[in-house]
Amino acid sequence: MLLAAALMFAGPASAALTDGDNACLGCHGQEGLQKTFGKGESLPLRVDGAAFEGSVHAPLGCAACHSDVELKTHPAAGKSFDSVRAYSVAKAAVCEQCHEDAFKQHEGSVHAKRMREGSALAPTCTGCHGAHAVTPKTAYQTCVGCHSAALAAHQQWLPNAALHHEVVSCAACHAPAALRMVDLRLHDPATKTWAAEKAGEPWFEKLARSVDANGNGLDARELLDLVKRINPAGSAAPKAFRGRIELRSNVEAHRLSDKAAAIRACDVCHREGAEPFRNVVVSVAGPDGRPLRHAAQQEILGAASAVVSLPEFYAIGGTRSPLLDVLFVVALLGGAGFPLGHMAVRWLFRKYRASRE
Amino acid sequence: MQRIYVHPLPVRIWHWANALGFIALILTGVQIRYVDLIGLMSFRAAVSLHNWVGWVLVGNFFIWLGFYLFTDKIRVYHPELSPVKHFRDSFRQLQYYGYGIFKGDPNPHHLSAYHKFNALQSMAYQIIMLLLVPLQFVTGVLLWDLKRFSGAVEFFGGVRVVDTVHVLLFIFFTAFILVHPYLASLGHTPSAHFKAMITGYEEVDE
Repeated sequence: MLLAAALMFAGPASAALTDGDNACLGCHGQEGLQKTFGKGESLPLRVDGAAFEGSVHAPLGCAACHSDVELKTHPAAGKSFDSVRAYSVAKAAVCEQCHEDAFKQHEGSVHAKRMREGSALAPTCTGCHGAHAVTPKTAYQTCVGCHSAALAAHQQWLPNAALHHEVVSCAACHAPAALRMVDLRLHDPATKTWAAEKAGEPWFEKLARSVDANGNGLDARELLDLVKRINPAGSAAPKAFRGRIELRSNVEAHRLSDKAAAIRACDVCHREGAEPFRNVVVSVAGPDGRPLRHAAQQEILGAASAVVSLPEFYAIGGTRSPLLDVLFVVALLGGAGFPLGHMAVRWLFRKYRASRE
Repeated sequence: MQRIYVHPLPVRIWHWANALGFIALILTGVQIRYVDLIGLMSFRAAVSLHNWVGWVLVGNFFIWLGFYLFTDKIRVYHPELSPVKHFRDSFRQLQYYGYGIFKGDPNPHHLSAYHKFNALQSMAYQIIMLLLVPLQFVTGVLLWDLKRFSGAVEFFGGVRVVDTVHVLLFIFFTAFILVHPYLASLGHTPSAHFKAMITGYEEVDE
């Protein structure tokens, strides 16, 4: 009966989804479908089929998360909740079935603490990630969804706050226990967006592997080679790698601290050998938006060739050039040595000068 | 000895403000760049001081530029148009600093109100004041707010290029600030040129 009803209301089915999922969308794709909870709140039950099709969970299908639905008794046997909030909190258990590691991290987070304290504003899984349109959003897009005043707040104390927000993942400072890395992402000046692979046309990993002869991560010469191959001679708008500070594992992004514990000290990053700069990858966005990464050696950040291979990435301290350090020492020695040497020779000639006078 | 007025008040104000400012910029620059090695002040304080002093010196530069553009003192910066004379004078000056000064030879440069620089100084200060100092200010301002000036940063080839130029000039000015006082001590007495940059009057042989 359910299937018949679904077919009766069904719109155009998506070829990318299974028949079962299209059957679900037959009803749940309809406008106006909603469920009323105990306190009178209504939860829209419509699912945007196209959005679901583009989500990272589309290959899993509806039943993966809604395994409690019995087709024979649906929708009559649906569980009832007091509120939409209560439903969202309960549904988090479904996410945990696959994302147990993220849950463990989340347990120690400020969000989990607020939830345990009973805050109605503390986000559930869907609060940050959405429900049926889960896509690889950046942390910034996710965080500012609620923390819309974050930039203004940071501008009160953080120099170049807008730039920091652009190139440093929120969790890099707000998950202080997490390990960080430099993600050198390929940027396309023609489109002013991150360069991305098209579906069915993979090239980045193959190219990076072919350039990385020893398979030990790209060194300075190999990075230069990679950049040249990405931008053949005569490229009008050459693509360039731009650095971002990201977490090495996005799972750790769930362990967000109270803001009082967030990293505020500049020299956590802005010093030579700082932890985020010890782990370097180059990447492009994959067809689904998730980064495709290849390891690189730390030395590429300060290499002299970085002026050509990484012209659009520089961070005080973290990308310090050893060559410029040597030049600085030479300048100090020369600047101090010339007066001392000249004075010494004048002193040696003092009797000669006196005899001429 | 005859006293001649060589350094007008605006030039003296500019000079000493510039000297103190450059020392502050070098010290804070070293602190910013080598925070893992030096602990003169916090990174944040060093950045803040570096930015403020940088802006003061940008303003100070325009005092210098305005003074010379709107007075006849600009003549002290007029280049020697005869290459033969310029290189002959430069060679003599080099010979003096590298050899003659040890023997007690007289300085080949004869200072006057409109001819205060010797051939080497003339060339060096034209390059420094009209190319290197403005370039340091421009790169510094771009690095001060990379988002605001992203178009200009892109025009110059990217933030790495801008920073590398800024650091190379910082290295040059560090050497300059060490050598400059020594060369200034090579007057007829070690303090003669220092006093002149305070009073405005240089003492020259009659």
